[in-house]
Amino acid sequence: MEYFLHILILIGIYIILSESLNLIAGYTGLLSIAHAAFYGVGAYVAALMALHLHSPFLVNIVCAVILCGLLGALVGIPSLRIRDDYFVIATFAFQVITFSVLNNWVSFTGGPMGLPGIPQPTIFGLKITSHLGFLLLIVILCSLILWISHRIVKSPFGRVLKSIREDEVFTQAVGKNVAAYKVLVFIIGAGMAAVAGVMYAYYISFIDPTSFTVMESIFIISIVIIGGAGNLWGPVVGAVVLVVLPELLRFIGLPSSMAANVRQILYGGLLVAFMMWRPQGFLGKYAFQSGETRE
Amino acid sequence: MIQYIVNSLIAASVWTLLGLGFALVLRAGRFFNFAHGIVFTAGAYFAFLFKAWLGFPLAVSLFIAILCSTALGCLMEFFPYRPLRRKGASPLVLLLASLGTYVVLQNMISMVFGDDTKSIRSGPVKEGLNVFGARITPIQILTILVSIVLVVAVAILLKNTKMGKTMRAVASDFKLANVCGLDSDRVILLGFALGSALAGVAGILFALDVDMTPTMGMNALMMGIVAVIIGGVDSIIGIILGALLLGLAQNLGVWYISSQWQDAIAFAILLVFLLFRPQGFMGKRVVKATV
Repeated sequence: MEYFLHILILIGIYIILSESLNLIAGYTGLLSIAHAAFYGVGAYVAALMALHLHSPFLVNIVCAVILCGLLGALVGIPSLRIRDDYFVIATFAFQVITFSVLNNWVSFTGGPMGLPGIPQPTIFGLKITSHLGFLLLIVILCSLILWISHRIVKSPFGRVLKSIREDEVFTQAVGKNVAAYKVLVFIIGAGMAAVAGVMYAYYISFIDPTSFTVMESIFIISIVIIGGAGNLWGPVVGAVVLVVLPELLRFIGLPSSMAANVRQILYGGLLVAFMMWRPQGFLGKYAFQSGETRE
Repeated sequence: MIQYIVNSLIAASVWTLLGLGFALVLRAGRFFNFAHGIVFTAGAYFAFLFKAWLGFPLAVSLFIAILCSTALGCLMEFFPYRPLRRKGASPLVLLLASLGTYVVLQNMISMVFGDDTKSIRSGPVKEGLNVFGARITPIQILTILVSIVLVVAVAILLKNTKMGKTMRAVASDFKLANVCGLDSDRVILLGFALGSALAGVAGILFALDVDMTPTMGMNALMMGIVAVIIGGVDSIIGIILGALLLGLAQNLGVWYISSQWQDAIAFAILLVFLLFRPQGFMGKRVVKATV
């Protein structure tokens, strides 16, 4: 039962992560592999505050969201000058630099040893200790994130995002401030990713930099793409499939030493297969075709 | 001080080979091939396979390893890149497919060989020769010499042979090249073969110097990409200068701060270039945001 709840909690965390990346990559067309960096910074901010300042959960989550939002603005800025593959490389650079800071600033982040002993969260005097409690909290946050995303993509703001994805020059031409929209969507996406990071830190109660590597970023973008970029429910489907599939391998008796590798082979292979036969994913609306190749 | 410059030269030779191979694939196929990094890793592991597991002599193993990594690069072109291109996939789709390919192959290498460090060096580590007060091992001298020879060879090949001319023609405009009767598929395959051979050699040289792990390719490739971007995709001299600048910045960075910040320094330089001069200092064309 605990195991089952654990899987559901993981799915919840990945839904938050991939839905926030979906706003950036799926709706706005800015393919970013820096998402694990926001996830990590969110987790570290909350963990450090909880450990050193003993501040309550809600304060930590708000601070993490704000800080990650600022970081998101920073990552969004290159998208104003470069695009497509070059932008992917720029986000990659942010990802590596963030990992490097988490890993090497030992006096502050604990370096490779990580931060152990993150206390259990208390909300309005209610201490969350069980898996069930965490699941409840995750479900609430997940619904909140999905609701916000839904409101965003159905709003005029969301329509502008989609039009940037489809034709940037045209969007500029009808008088939209494309630069502001791009930076704003990065702030929102990064802030949402921070929520997932905070939940992860509190749930596992120990964090170290290896959870926030480039490979994790590739995993998150795989969820978005396989589920379907540019569709609200795409990341939900993607997260369920990509979290549950590797767990099924456990039941067919795969040795645990190989589990991590097989899990990565699985999503890497799926990524190639989907690019080949269904680039828009299960439910997607967008297949990462740039303007010149589409017609 | 001289030691730092020597270290920069050694690093720069590997990054140049890797970057040049990456640029050949980028120019021929017009996409960022992240799986290029796994060819680098695979080159080293093929050498390990033939030398340590099958007991071939070192020189023979290295030769076969280079052939195998060339074949691996060509295989990737046959699947998934060529079918994707036939479907009119955008560079981003190809990039994502190459990320997937990288992840799959890296984990296969981990599963077959294990995650621990493997070595193809024979005998104890020698102290190295003394050159102007800097220590340099024979392997490191070999690394520098091989990369100079290979880079010059590629430059001559591209500039003076018919094969090189067709490669440049397809790189500059493949539709026009097709109209003129060039088989662009063949030329792209050639780009993959040449680029992958360079990556294989780079991987072997790197492993001879500092051993191998399954994950070394991604980081090394990023250094190659940084060299290409700060130097300019179209210019071999640019890539060499880019690699030298990168090597110097990293090793001088070690002098001032500590060695674990090398990656951060490299990527900070990359970001500065991407923001202010995305075509690199020798490049001409660039894909810029249109706004």
